[in-house]
Amino acid sequence: MISLPSYLFISFLLFVAGMFVMIARKNIVAILLGIELILNSAALNFVAYTKFVNNNLDGHIMSLFIIVIAAAEAAVGLAIVIRFYQLRESVHIDDATQLQS
Amino acid sequence: MFEQILFLLSATATIGFTVAVVGTNNLMHACMYLLGTLFGVAGLYATIGADFLAATQIVVYAGGVVILMLFAIMLTGGAEDKKNRFGIEKIPSMGSTKTYIVAGASVLIIAMIVLKMTANIHTANKDLAVASTGNESTVFNIGSLLLTDHILAFEISSILLLGALVGAAIIARPKRN
Repeated sequence: MISLPSYLFISFLLFVAGMFVMIARKNIVAILLGIELILNSAALNFVAYTKFVNNNLDGHIMSLFIIVIAAAEAAVGLAIVIRFYQLRESVHIDDATQLQS
Repeated sequence: MFEQILFLLSATATIGFTVAVVGTNNLMHACMYLLGTLFGVAGLYATIGADFLAATQIVVYAGGVVILMLFAIMLTGGAEDKKNRFGIEKIPSMGSTKTYIVAGASVLIIAMIVLKMTANIHTANKDLAVASTGNESTVFNIGSLLLTDHILAFEISSILLLGALVGAAIIARPKRN
């Protein structure tokens, strides 16, 4: 049961769900939530391959950097969302039509 | 046996909470379900022998990212429906039926393409059992690898985090007139 295809299947489901959230939702915070799902699926793929294929620690380090980048991305993205809400009083993605207000 | 049970529980939690994130109507609930998904992924890391990574996942995501998202949702008006200042009524958390149809069709196409591209990987690794070396702790090895082989990436990521924090503080600050 614990084999590479089962991990790949779970990772694939996470990726598809993240893509679905990014396309279907209209709230900017919800889109950032979908990005978190996609980054998690990528990190899970790295760890699964490094365990079942070459059995060293390179995938673990790659996943660690993915987690770091996800945290940085969430901080900057949510700051942009809050600034956008101060300017436009909306978090709808269709209201974001100008770079400069 | 214990690993099998843990794997089943984690996989069920991950898949179920992911479906809940996609399907729920309330953005606050979606954030809570995302927390469940992240815990499930941490359990999957634990079954695969990545103990340090599982702990990091829980600390960084549950302690940092999800709290940050909850703060952002609450600062931008919560999950209730709002009218923007142009008077057009908009539902903030969900798209319309049209966006769901478009998203379903495009995700289906992407899924078919990805499955087609990775079909030979699935067949080639079908009988690749777990390399049963036992799950010893990986903390020591990860620490020494980070400070010897991957020292440049380590330092660059620290600079990236500093830049991200300073940038977030500058961007989110209200403009003084």
